[in-house]
Amino acid sequence: MTSASLARPAERPRKPPRSLLGPAGIAAFLLITYWAVSSEFGIGLDLGAIVKDLDRGQVILADVLRPDFGFFERTIPAMLETIQMAIIATAIGCGIALPAAFLASRVTAPNAFVLRVDRGVLNVIRALPDLLYAMIFVAALSIGPLAGIMALILFNLGVIAKLLSETIDGVDTGPIEAARAAGAARVQTIRTAVYPQVLPNYVAFSLYVLELNIRASTVLGLVGAGGIGRLLNLQIGFGNYDNVGFIILELFLLVFAIELLSISLRRRLV
Amino acid sequence: MIDFKNASVTYPGGVHALRDLTLQIPDGEMVVIVGLSGAGKSTLIRAINGLVPLTGGDVTVDGKSVAKARGGELRRIRSRIGMIFQTFNLVKRTTVLNNVLMGRLHATPTWRSLVGRYRPGDVEIAMRALERVGIVEKAYVRAANLSGGQQQRVGIARALAQEPKIILADEPVASLDPPTSHMVMRDLQRINRELGITTIVNLHFLDLAKVYGDRIIGMRDGQLVYDGSGAQADENVFRDIYGRSLTADDVLEAAATR
Ligand SMILES: Nc1ncnc2c1ncn2[C@@H]1O[C@H](COP(=O)(O)OP(=O)(O)OP(=O)(O)O)[C@@H](O)[C@H]1O
Ligand SMILES: [Mg+2]
Repeated sequence: MTSASLARPAERPRKPPRSLLGPAGIAAFLLITYWAVSSEFGIGLDLGAIVKDLDRGQVILADVLRPDFGFFERTIPAMLETIQMAIIATAIGCGIALPAAFLASRVTAPNAFVLRVDRGVLNVIRALPDLLYAMIFVAALSIGPLAGIMALILFNLGVIAKLLSETIDGVDTGPIEAARAAGAARVQTIRTAVYPQVLPNYVAFSLYVLELNIRASTVLGLVGAGGIGRLLNLQIGFGNYDNVGFIILELFLLVFAIELLSISLRRRLV
Repeated sequence: MIDFKNASVTYPGGVHALRDLTLQIPDGEMVVIVGLSGAGKSTLIRAINGLVPLTGGDVTVDGKSVAKARGGELRRIRSRIGMIFQTFNLVKRTTVLNNVLMGRLHATPTWRSLVGRYRPGDVEIAMRALERVGIVEKAYVRAANLSGGQQQRVGIARALAQEPKIILADEPVASLDPPTSHMVMRDLQRINRELGITTIVNLHFLDLAKVYGDRIIGMRDGQLVYDGSGAQADENVFRDIYGRSLTADDVLEAAATR
């Protein structure tokens, strides 16, 4: 076998022509960026303005960098509300996202119809930003954390179901075949052959979303959907930038703590 | 008893993987299927438990048509047929015991499997299956931490945990080294002889086929080209099945010593 192929080597294939898609894409991207930036067609980005306004910014920045730790006590209720909103929204959003993700993956969906409907609904949910949801729920439910929680739930559902269903698309299908061959029902197959494979990702995504929720609370407050954002907005309005600095520091520490938790959990799960 | 009646499988795309196959396998036999790559061996095996649907004819297991069965009825038929895979198909991230317990899913209510609480009786069955293949001490080890040979034994234990009447094995030793291959094949042979489970094995290597196959079925191009005892199957027979002369690649021992 080897000697035969040595005697008469197969003809080498010719190198396929280079695709122009890459260079063309880069050129198109540069053109579109120019269109967006230029003063004739776009927003007319003026980098000089940044330098010109820097004086004003410097004062604010100096205050922000000198956070007033005495402000701590007054941030406690709003900060707790933010954390509670984030946790509730994560729990509910991720809970709904789990089955939604299984229905949105080709690997686990019962049929093409369910797959398409579920993906369609999720796409619609994801199309709107969380701030818009917050405005809608504030209008529909009244001002307060409930509106913020509802907005975050939809946001979390959209994000987690998308990330998780794509993870499910890539699982090892061998165990699925084994479960089916053993006479397992669909739900049992998903639970025993697919769920353990994506569990670490699910946990990581959920913690990521928790972090996003904490961050989102700063803007949700702007439209009256509860949390630390209201206080932040107030302090900006009063020009108390040392208090603003303290809130930013708190948020930073909170997000950092979640990241640490996420790392340690992931290490134990993988 | 497994009964193929003019069974055909044409895959989407037009490949005829089984052509009008008629074949009977009585209870308790140890059958080895050989044939070139693409001959239809995997298709034949997967037709028995309905993982590959027939496009013509019928296949029955103990008188029940697999081709016509749907939903719960198909699952009941499958629960009586264990399957072993070339790539083991274990959930690597979870324990050996959890993998073996997959063989008990057919007897487990959905809510129990959702919360991961199997009945004590089912755990006992799984443990006994692990004992039979000699790796019960690994019950709480992650499947990923086992060697290939150990993983295949877990695969066998999972099939045994179903308490099946039939075991199908699709190239169960193709990913293993020669000594491990023999160990796994001996396990299958023992299970066939001691428990009387009908065992159907796809094999790549002719020497393994001859040693372990009480009956050898040769496939070529979706058709049955040989059906006889392992003792009768000499070099000429295999040359017939393969439609070419044999090479060192066709024999496990030779492949191992190269
Ligand atoms: N899902 C599929 N879709 C389309 N064609 C398929 C599919 N599965 C198998 N085939 C084709 O059907 C034929 C028989 O395949 P099968 O897997 O049964 O062969 P095999 O004897 O098991 O081969 P091997 O030794 O390589 O495993 C092959 O030509 C294969 O390409
Ligand atoms: Mg095959």
